[in-house]
Amino acid sequence: MKFDTRKKELLINLLSLVVFVILWQGVLILTREGIFNIPFIRLRDIPTPVETWHALLGSLFTHINGPNLTYGIYNHVFASMERVIEGGIIAFIIGVPVGIGVGYSKLIGNIFNPIIEIIRNMPPMAWIPLAIFIFVSGGSIFIVFIGVVFPIILNTIQGVRSTDERLLDAARTLGASESMIVTKVVIPSAFPSIMTGLRIGLGVGWMAIVAAEMVIKSPVGLGYFIWNMGDLGRYAEMIAGMIVIGVIGYLMNISILLLQRRFIKWVD
Amino acid sequence: MGRLVLDSVSKKFNTFQALENVSFEVADGEFVCLLGPSGCGKTTVLRLAAGLVAPNGGNLFLDGKKIDGVNKECGFVFQEYALFPWRTVKENIEFGPQAKGLNKNECDRISKHYIDLVGLNGFENHYPKELSGGMKQRVGIARAYANSPKLLLMDEPFGALDAQTRNLMQGELLRIWEKEHISVLFVTHSVDEAVFLGDKVVVMSARPGTIKEIFDVKLPRPRIRTSLEANIIRDKVLKSLGIEIKLAMKEK
Repeated sequence: MKFDTRKKELLINLLSLVVFVILWQGVLILTREGIFNIPFIRLRDIPTPVETWHALLGSLFTHINGPNLTYGIYNHVFASMERVIEGGIIAFIIGVPVGIGVGYSKLIGNIFNPIIEIIRNMPPMAWIPLAIFIFVSGGSIFIVFIGVVFPIILNTIQGVRSTDERLLDAARTLGASESMIVTKVVIPSAFPSIMTGLRIGLGVGWMAIVAAEMVIKSPVGLGYFIWNMGDLGRYAEMIAGMIVIGVIGYLMNISILLLQRRFIKWVD
Repeated sequence: MGRLVLDSVSKKFNTFQALENVSFEVADGEFVCLLGPSGCGKTTVLRLAAGLVAPNGGNLFLDGKKIDGVNKECGFVFQEYALFPWRTVKENIEFGPQAKGLNKNECDRISKHYIDLVGLNGFENHYPKELSGGMKQRVGIARAYANSPKLLLMDEPFGALDAQTRNLMQGELLRIWEKEHISVLFVTHSVDEAVFLGDKVVVMSARPGTIKEIFDVKLPRPRIRTSLEANIIRDKVLKSLGIEIKLAMKEK
């Protein structure tokens, strides 16, 4: 019964993708035949799914020689992911302790809150000019850091603050010291929220890295790749790059969810 | 050891007078049930005894020592169990011994002893979410006992259980209590439960919470729930409580 429902859902998911691709192809064919047109939008310049597919296959591993030397997409994927992982690790190392401190101690909260509340409202992209200015290298890692660290901090705070009051009482009556309460009650209790923060943060970081790579010029990175392909008029490769960005973001999200489910067995 | 004395204790929350001039005693090894209408401050009495909150007036003593700050010589059993969900049965029971800084062997020995005592063999490595309500409360009791407290504070520990399991757990609690004799202060809504379990039943009145009447239950154990003597006491307690329940309703 349950298996059948799951199968049916998967089928619907797959069908929706297929229909989307068919519509995409169909609209473009009609446009190119001059049957269909939307004013002010150059629909005919959009590559079809078939062209995109060929561009994807053609540029996954091969280098493209144009006015600029371009590597295969896989190289750009690695470069971008490396930056996201590095920025993410730094954000995790800084964000989790800050979140725990702010969530647990009123004093630390009062010290950090004004800074956090203002800075977190500056989008990662707003930091790009500064990053270019102050970082000799690694500016895009910094942009990722900005994107990841605030979701981690905020979710950690929320996780710490929603620690069940009765569990704290239980720990106290069992003789736990303040440090044991933090390490053995507050942190485990906040752990699922911390993981959620990491997941949301990496999503933001992934968007931030693409934007950062478009502006902070370096010869590799998916942001750079799609910008460069656009510049060169290779729109099919550009769209292929966009799809790769989407798919990888999706996979990152799912893999953290799976990890979370695998390692936090105690959650209802 | 394990004598709790409340000496004209008062507790205010902001402007709300939760307890006023509450005095009673849990003698060494005695099982005392605290009964009263909802909102009469029963739980507050337990929290005061545990040192989780401080009184505004009066004093509490455990074995003659004033309770000031968290009272680590009492075990607390909560209504909704309050188990650490990320810890297995064994790890939950070992929390107290670990807090005391005991080594792994000692923790193992203690948790094994109490897992045996509450009958959870085979469930050592289960997480709380995998247990039924009755089993969760067995863990709660074992965890409180594992710290060898002098006094056990129980806040409606069986309130969330179905009637059958509740009766079973009452019997289990008495069996454990008779093996490891410590004083118990047991909060409940149920007159039946109080008369079945307690050496003494303390009836409270509401708003502000005060002690209304104290009944000695001098029935031999094991007790028979339906005995005439039990019914006579139940009737007295109900009458004492009945008036109070009406008063509290009127005020609402």
